[in-house]
Amino acid sequence: MKIDPKTLEELIALAKDKNVYLEGNVLKTIDPDPNDPQLTQYLQEALSRDQSHRRKRLDITRHTQAQNTELLKTKKKLELALTEAQDAKSIAEQDLTLLQKKSQFKLINRVANISLFIIVSISIAATLVYSIALAKGMYVDNISSTWNSLMGILLSNAFSVLATTMGIKYASDKSDKE
Amino acid sequence: MLIDSILLVDDESLFHLVFEDACNLLDITLQLITVASADETEKLCKKWIDGEMKKPDCVFVDLNIVGSSVDGIELVHKINTTYGNGTVIGIISSSTDKKEIDKAIDAGAQFWIVKSDDIEPRLAQFKRDYEGYKNKTIDHFKVYN
Repeated sequence: MKIDPKTLEELIALAKDKNVYLEGNVLKTIDPDPNDPQLTQYLQEALSRDQSHRRKRLDITRHTQAQNTELLKTKKKLELALTEAQDAKSIAEQDLTLLQKKSQFKLINRVANISLFIIVSISIAATLVYSIALAKGMYVDNISSTWNSLMGILLSNAFSVLATTMGIKYASDKSDKE
Repeated sequence: MLIDSILLVDDESLFHLVFEDACNLLDITLQLITVASADETEKLCKKWIDGEMKKPDCVFVDLNIVGSSVDGIELVHKINTTYGNGTVIGIISSSTDKKEIDKAIDAGAQFWIVKSDDIEPRLAQFKRDYEGYKNKTIDHFKVYN
């Protein structure tokens, strides 16, 4: 590509007044003229500036690219760490639920055991008193009806406690399976 | 000597800028076409066959093109077989895996340029060898490392 003298004049004026030069690959398509020192000087200056800008851009882009690569690596590591943390959290939640259930069952069992102990103790005590009264030939008509009622109440309470304990256990097992 | 036109297939758009500036600083080519996927490349290839576009003289293909239906090596094979050969074609990648290099040779790639922070020396070397690839005087596969 050849540049006519008028265009060259305008380009040189533009460079002088506004510091604007031709840039990019178009510079490589311009045929240099060794007999035209103005054109030679203009092309040298324009090429030098263009190369300087390209060099700066290349350095910045390379630096950005390297940072990008590092960020991607860090992102992968963080994603892995997040997955591991989520897994650990899930396991910890399961362990906590299990622990809570164990504690609940222990408490229920304890309450049931104490209730049954009280019921059995009262039954034994009442039966002992009744037996002693019967053995000594005492008047037991009042005691017998009271003993009957007491045994009935104690038995129904004992079955209630057992049924409640079994019911809670069944309901908890069902929710686990779900 | 300037290469008339180069096609770069790479999903990393930052690398497009790096490659463009390096080519400009080394006076490698005046026309650089960059595409980000194998699918876009195939559309271009069809334009070469239809005559809508001139075939590039040299093609650089990234090994792993994210978001494409084929990888770099399959693309090299396709360009060599389906869309006509005569184009100097090779792989540009940060990997130096021997198995992948062997696959690239089988697919018809002529060179392998290792992508790194400092790609200019490798491209400068490639520029010196380009005539050999074009005239087939370099008949062996070369790795620019």
